[in-house]
Amino acid sequence: MERIVKERDRLLRRSARLLGLTGTFAALLCFAVPGSIEFASLTVLIPSFALLIAALYRVGVNGSLVWAGVAVAAGASIVLLVHLATIGALAAFTGVGASPTGLTSAAETGVRFISSWALASIAVILVTSLGRMLLLAAAFAVTAATTIAATATAPEGLLTLCAVIAGWALACALGTLLAVGVVRAARRISNIGRAHRAERQASETEAQRRQGARLLHDTVLATLTLLAHQGVGVSADALVQQAGDDARLLRQLRLGTAPLPAAASEYNLKTPVEESTLGNTLEAVKQRFGRMGLSVSWHGTGQVLLPADILDAFLGSLAECLENVRRHAGVEEAHVTITDDDTTIRAMVTDNGVGFDQSSIAEGRLGFKESVVARLKEIGGNVRVFSAPGSGTTVVLEVPK
Amino acid sequence: MMSIADLASSSQTPQRATAAPIEEDTLGTVASTGKRRARGTPRRVGKSTGSRIIEEHAGSLGTGLLGVGAMFVCVTFALFSLARFVTLWSEYPAPLAAAGAWLLFAGLLVAAGVVIRHNDDRLPDWMFFVFLGGLAGVIALDLIAVWSLGDVAATASAAVAAGVGLVAVVGVRAARELWTAAAAVGTILLAADLLDGDIDTDRLVPTVSMLGQAVLPALLGALIVRSFRRLVTLELDRVLVQSTVSAPRYAVGMLASEELARLDLAAEQLLEGVASGATTLPLEPKLAQRAASLATELRLHLIEGRRETWLHHAITESDLLGRRVTLSDPGTLAGLLDPRQRDGLFSAIWLLAGEAGTKVAKQGRPTLQLTLGPIAVDRDLGPLHKVIVPITIETTGVARGRVDPATWDAVRRVGKHVDSMRGGSLCIEIECLADNPADS
Repeated sequence: MERIVKERDRLLRRSARLLGLTGTFAALLCFAVPGSIEFASLTVLIPSFALLIAALYRVGVNGSLVWAGVAVAAGASIVLLVHLATIGALAAFTGVGASPTGLTSAAETGVRFISSWALASIAVILVTSLGRMLLLAAAFAVTAATTIAATATAPEGLLTLCAVIAGWALACALGTLLAVGVVRAARRISNIGRAHRAERQASETEAQRRQGARLLHDTVLATLTLLAHQGVGVSADALVQQAGDDARLLRQLRLGTAPLPAAASEYNLKTPVEESTLGNTLEAVKQRFGRMGLSVSWHGTGQVLLPADILDAFLGSLAECLENVRRHAGVEEAHVTITDDDTTIRAMVTDNGVGFDQSSIAEGRLGFKESVVARLKEIGGNVRVFSAPGSGTTVVLEVPK
Repeated sequence: MMSIADLASSSQTPQRATAAPIEEDTLGTVASTGKRRARGTPRRVGKSTGSRIIEEHAGSLGTGLLGVGAMFVCVTFALFSLARFVTLWSEYPAPLAAAGAWLLFAGLLVAAGVVIRHNDDRLPDWMFFVFLGGLAGVIALDLIAVWSLGDVAATASAAVAAGVGLVAVVGVRAARELWTAAAAVGTILLAADLLDGDIDTDRLVPTVSMLGQAVLPALLGALIVRSFRRLVTLELDRVLVQSTVSAPRYAVGMLASEELARLDLAAEQLLEGVASGATTLPLEPKLAQRAASLATELRLHLIEGRRETWLHHAITESDLLGRRVTLSDPGTLAGLLDPRQRDGLFSAIWLLAGEAGTKVAKQGRPTLQLTLGPIAVDRDLGPLHKVIVPITIETTGVARGRVDPATWDAVRRVGKHVDSMRGGSLCIEIECLADNPADS
């Protein structure tokens, strides 16, 4: 926060300098125009203008309150000198007597630029603390008093006074808004930063997962290279098949449901359907549920090769059963036993949870029917459910090898 | 069942045998594009990440508040012009035109305010142009109203307010657009003032006053809001990049990570196309080239291993640091620093890079040269399980007097340091005590 406060103060003082110098030069232009004030009177103003410009410049460099005070004094002296020159009080120095028509309209515009613009810009840096606000009040009082003294009798005196008040009000508003805006933005940014740090960690994990998927990427790279070479030496059908398998694995990797990469696939253009080992993929399912608070124990064999579509359906159904255990059984542990014979692979999902009355829901549950029963039927498998209230649930999934 | 090694070799053999003669050629051409990307992409992506986040949070990053303030400024200035309009009412040759101008102006302000508020602090291009068109209408109506008086500078009211009206959109449009618009308003008013009758030096001050009121608020407002936006952008850049400090010794980094995900997705889509039959085999030359370049880029990301230190990521991801700092850390020693030291080093570099002369930076020359290592082994002063990582920060165009005092606090957190002036610029050598990676 300390650094952002520093940045805020720099923004405030630079804005103050920008506004102040612009107003000062506009005022100088008004006084310098022929017919505004006598040339001799103008020369008296020059040192004050130089001081005002220097002071505003220094305020922009380091925000010094001393220079802010000097700026206000210099500006007030300009206004007063213009007034004195108009009533002839400076005749001893300039030889110019009192102006018979009073303050010219051009000179009044100049005064307006000084008090309502150049000096008001100082207010931008005086709104950040209570102490500074007291100085702000003093600076405003000085400016307003000198301006009233100089323009009270001028034709547009009231307008000038309004302009001074409005100018200072605007400068205060600008300073406050900038100060509040910066602090607010900084707070917001630090929140974004926190979120970003989490995102970075997630993306790091994700990248490592992807980089870890070496074997998968090996096959993808090989396929891409073959495609680049127009599939020389490989039949188009085999290439299409391989592309489909690779795309599916990349999709799994992207969606995060991927079987662990090391087991992702083998690269074999000869066999019609690609096969995957089961062991490591089961481990991935276990880890996923472990993270969600259901510990899964595996029993039996893990080294089984399955065609890709059967593996997908089998794992999907198994995960769905475990999801049901996690949500409905009210226990934190489930057992999965995998057995296989020559034709069939079988998974038994068992829990000691609340169980349910099979006659009441059994097949009627659309979720279970769609996600498990239908999925397994499609690949020629089937599912059996055994359960009674209070005595846990057992689901047996069977798929052909 | 085959082992993994068998699978790998059996899959590689046929491919090599068939593709060898072409591969050299493809890899040769493709590898060069891959490298070009590798150097060119990070900065572009980094920039877009930052600006995307700014875009997402446009309203909450302070510009919303400034918009409210801008409206206040706008209304206050307009009140003065309105006062003039009221006092001159009886003298207008065509008062209805002037009144119409004011009604249109008020309508535009309200509309702009409502749209900006409800559009999450954004103003679409076409609405901005409608707004500008409306302001042009205001100026035209007002000039019609006062034209026959022959003194535009002293009598125009809504036309001056129209220039101030630009302030209302200062928080939602780029400074350059507003300057152009303000310049256009100024030019129109000046031209009208010159053409309305005889030119007289006595009437110069009303002209200056009118132009000052009409043009300066938008000009200065846009400047101030621009500095505000720069401050916020820089702070956002710093905060986003600072999150690298907590990275492990080697990290893939946000950019490489996004890049890898992008490449995987592109490969997936291409393969999907082939598998579904949407893309016919053999591939057209353009697609084949794309497959080859995807393979090369993936290979660069995966097999060569894109592991870099947090410091490397911080510098490549940051807009500010990326432009001004070059890092030489062949031993990837930055990863050895503990969080406190990393934070110190990062702050020191950030402060020095912010200070480094902008003139030099604009020429595209880096102004900070950061060198880490080699590890000093012949010191027996420190504890056995520690190593000394020498860090040298050589600057260009940084005078010692202009360095933020906070820099030295930050450097002290990294380790013992010696500073010197070389060729008029600061050079800091730090001895950083870090855990020996061999022991961990």
